[in-house]
Amino acid sequence: MRMILRRVSHLLVVLFFVTLFAALMTSLLPGDPVDAIAGFASPEQKEALREQLGLDDPLYVQYGRWVGDFVTGDLGGYYSVTGERPVMDRVRDALPVSIQLMVEAQILTLLIAVPLGVFTAYRATSRFDRATNATAFGLLAIPNFALALVLAYYVGVQLGWLPVSGYVAPREDLLEHLRRMALPVIALAVGQIAAYMRLLRSDMIATLQEDFITMAKSKGISPSRVLWRHALRPSSLTVLTVAGLNVGTLISGAVVIEVIFSLPGMGTLLAEAVFARQYIALQSLIAIIAIGFVLINFLVDLLYSVLDPRIRHART
Amino acid sequence: MASTAVRRKWFGRVAPVLALAIVAAACGGGGDDSGGGGGGDAAGEEGTPTPGGKVTYGLEAETTDGWCLPEAQLAISGIMVARSIYDTLTRPTADGTYEPWLAESVEPNDDYTEWTITLPEGVTFHDGSDLTAEVVKNNLDAYRGQYPTRSPQLFVFTFQNIANTEAVDPQTVRVTMNEPWVSFDAYLYGSGRVGMMAQAQLDDTRTCAENLIGTGPFKLVNWTPNQSLTAEKNPDYWATDAEGNQLPYLDEIEFRPIVEVAQRLNALQSGEINAMHTSDADTIDEIRGLADSGEVTAVESDQFGEVSYIMLNESQPPFDNIKARQAFAYAADFDEVNTILNAGITTQATGPFAPGNVGNLDDTGFPTYDPERAEELVQEYETETGQPLSFTYTTTQAEATVAQAQLVKEQAEAVGMSVEIITVDQSTQIDSAISGDFEAIGWRNHPGGDPDEQYVWWKSASGNPVNFGRFNDPEIDRLLDEGRTTPDEAQREQIYEDLNRRFGEQVHNIWLWYTPWTVATSNDVHGILGEGPSSPDPFPGLAVGNSTTYMWVEQ
Repeated sequence: MRMILRRVSHLLVVLFFVTLFAALMTSLLPGDPVDAIAGFASPEQKEALREQLGLDDPLYVQYGRWVGDFVTGDLGGYYSVTGERPVMDRVRDALPVSIQLMVEAQILTLLIAVPLGVFTAYRATSRFDRATNATAFGLLAIPNFALALVLAYYVGVQLGWLPVSGYVAPREDLLEHLRRMALPVIALAVGQIAAYMRLLRSDMIATLQEDFITMAKSKGISPSRVLWRHALRPSSLTVLTVAGLNVGTLISGAVVIEVIFSLPGMGTLLAEAVFARQYIALQSLIAIIAIGFVLINFLVDLLYSVLDPRIRHART
Repeated sequence: MASTAVRRKWFGRVAPVLALAIVAAACGGGGDDSGGGGGGDAAGEEGTPTPGGKVTYGLEAETTDGWCLPEAQLAISGIMVARSIYDTLTRPTADGTYEPWLAESVEPNDDYTEWTITLPEGVTFHDGSDLTAEVVKNNLDAYRGQYPTRSPQLFVFTFQNIANTEAVDPQTVRVTMNEPWVSFDAYLYGSGRVGMMAQAQLDDTRTCAENLIGTGPFKLVNWTPNQSLTAEKNPDYWATDAEGNQLPYLDEIEFRPIVEVAQRLNALQSGEINAMHTSDADTIDEIRGLADSGEVTAVESDQFGEVSYIMLNESQPPFDNIKARQAFAYAADFDEVNTILNAGITTQATGPFAPGNVGNLDDTGFPTYDPERAEELVQEYETETGQPLSFTYTTTQAEATVAQAQLVKEQAEAVGMSVEIITVDQSTQIDSAISGDFEAIGWRNHPGGDPDEQYVWWKSASGNPVNFGRFNDPEIDRLLDEGRTTPDEAQREQIYEDLNRRFGEQVHNIWLWYTPWTVATSNDVHGILGEGPSSPDPFPGLAVGNSTTYMWVEQ
C-alpha cells in the first residue's frame, strides 16, 4: 500500500513537470497561435479568440486553468474562429488505436525475442548464436520509418500480401484488423526484438552460470525445463525494465509509424496539434501519454516482485 | 539490371521520408504541360460509363477543421471532398471561362453592377430541403460575413465588392456590387470552395464542420478524421450527362488521407485505393513510368495551376530596392532547380499566370539566369545603400523545401549575396507571411481561373492584410481595377498580359515553376476530368482537384 502511494505521488510529480515543460515549450514557439489557428480572421475575431484561449494571461494562470480542467476530465478543445471541438472526442477514437499498435508490437516482440534470447544463450557462441547476434545488430541499426516503407513496398506492393494503409477496429473485423496492423506492428517491433533478444541472452548466460542452475541440472531436470522454468524468470528483470522504459520509444516510433501507415492514433493527433498550434490539445495529449508511460512503469515495478521472490521478500 | 531498378525504386521511396513522415510540404513541385498521362485511355476515349461501383481516393492530407464552407480553409484535399458533397453555382469551362452549374443562369446587367442568379426548380439538398433563392442569398451572405451564425475569414476580403444580396422571388437572387464586377461568375466557383450549403448546416452553430448537407452528387455517410470520409450516391441528384444518364456514376466514394506520398502510391499499386493525387515531382516521375508500362492510368496537368515562387517583402530592406530583387532573379538558375529538385519535369514560370490562364505569357520580361548581371546589380545595390546584400529565406522543414532553400542560398551566394535560411513549421511560415516577419519566403499560390480572382492578393498593401509581399504598385492597382471592370475579352487579355509584364519588370516575386498535379488511378477507373460542360473538351486544370461526378469504374 505504501509503495502504491509512493508511486502515485511519483506519478503526480512526473505529470506536473512534464505538462509544465510542455506548456513552457509551446509558449516559446515563435509566432502567434491565434494567427496559426485563424490566420485570415478579422482583428475582432482574433481578439475574441485570444480571450477565449486566455492567451493574454500569464503562463502560470494558463497552466493552472488547464490543470483544473484536466483533473475534472475536461481535456479542452480544438479552437477555431467558429468555436471549440472537444479534444476528448478525438482522443476517444485515437487512444485505442495507439494502444493496440503498441500492445501488438510488444506481444510480437516478446513472442520472437524471448525464445531467441533463451536459445542463443543456451547455444552461446554457436554458429546460430553468432548469426542471430549479427542480424540483431543489423536490425537495431534500421530506423523504423525506413523499414516501414521497405516493408510496405515489398510486402504490400510487390508481394501483395498485406495492406499498406488504413485501420479497421478489431470489433468490426478482427482478421482485417490484424492484416492492417501487421506491417506497422512489424516495423515498430523489429528494433525492439533485436534489443530484447540481446539483453535476455546476456542475462540468461549469466544466470546459467549460477549455482542453482547447476543444482537443477545435477538433479536431472531436463534442459528445457531448466531454461524455461528456472533460468528465464530471474533473467527477465532487465528485459522487463527495458520494456517499461521502451514505452517512450514505442510512443515516439508510433508517431511516425501512424503517419506512414495512415493509422488514426495518438501520434497522428499529436503531430496535428503541434503543426496546428492547438496548445490546449497538445498539453492534454502529452499528459495522457505521460500518464500511460508512468503507469506502465509502475506495473513493471509490481511485476518485479512477481518475477523475483527476493525483491518481494526485501520489500516485505 | 532489374535489381538496380528495384534498389533505385526502394531508395527513391525511403529517402524522401527522412523528414516527410510528419511534416507536410508547404511547397510542391514537378510537372510538364498538360493532358493525359500514359497508360490508360486519354480523357474522352475511355468508353461508355457504367454506373455502380466504388472509388477509394487517396488524399494528400486530412481536412481536420471540416467543411463549414464559409469558414473552412480548404486545400486541394478538402476541395475534393467539398466538390463531391456540394455544388457551386458556376463551374469553369475548357477555356477558363465560367458557365452556370447549379444555377440555371447567372447574368450581369449592362454595366456589371448587378448580377441575377436564377435557380432551377425541384433541386433539393441531401436533407430534403429545397434549393431556394433565400438559401442561396444566405449562403452568399455567409461567405461575405453578413450572416449572423457564420464567421468567414478570407472570403470577407474576396467578396467585399458585394454591396447587397436580395431574394427577388423563390428562384431568383439579385447581387448588387459596389463597383462593376465582370468576373463575379468566377468567384461563384471560387476554386471549388464556394459550395451551397443547406439552411440547416448554415444555421448549425455546433456541428457545421461535420454535418455536411449539400446538393452535390454524393451524400455524407461517415467521417472519421485521419481515417476516411465515405459518401454514397445522391439518388436524387439533379444533373445528368450529355446522353441524359443519371449522375453520378459511382455508388460510393471513399476519401482516405494518406499523408506520406510514397505510401499513397503503394496503396494504389497494391489495390487498396484506386485513385490518388500528387504534386510531388519525384512521384509524378514515377507515376509516368508506371503509366508507360500500363500499371496505372494517369492524368497530369499544370494548366490553370498554382505557381511556386519566392515571395519578397518589399516593406523593408533589401527587397524594397528593385536592384536587390533583380539581382536575386538574375541569380536564379531554373535549369539547375528543375534538374535537382523536380526530376526535370517542371516548366519555368515567367509570371503568376499558369498556362491556360488569361494573361499567361512565355516572355514577361522577367529576368532569366545571368550571373554576371546579378553580380553587377549586387555591387550597384551595395554602392547605393552602403549595405551588403544579405537577407533571410524562410521555409518549412520539409525535405523538399529545405533542399530548395539550400539551392537558392547557393545560387544567390555565388553572385555575392548573403543568405540565412530559417526553417519553421508550416503554421509559423504562414504567421510570418501574415505578420510581415520575413524577407524572402518560399510560397505557392494563385491557382488558375479568372485572373481577377488574384485581385485580393495583389491590391496595394495599405489596408489589405493579404498582400503578403507588401508591395504598393499603382500600376498593378490600376490594371487590377481595369481588369475587374472591363468586359471585353480581348481588352481583358491585354490588361492581364500587361499586369504579367509589370510583375516581370518590377520583380515583385521570384517566379520558379508552375505546379503540376497528377491524378493516378487503377486502369479500370475513368472520368477524371469529366465531360466538357458546354464544349467537347473538359476543364483541364487539376490544381483544385477533379470532379468526382463523372468518375466511373468498369463493371
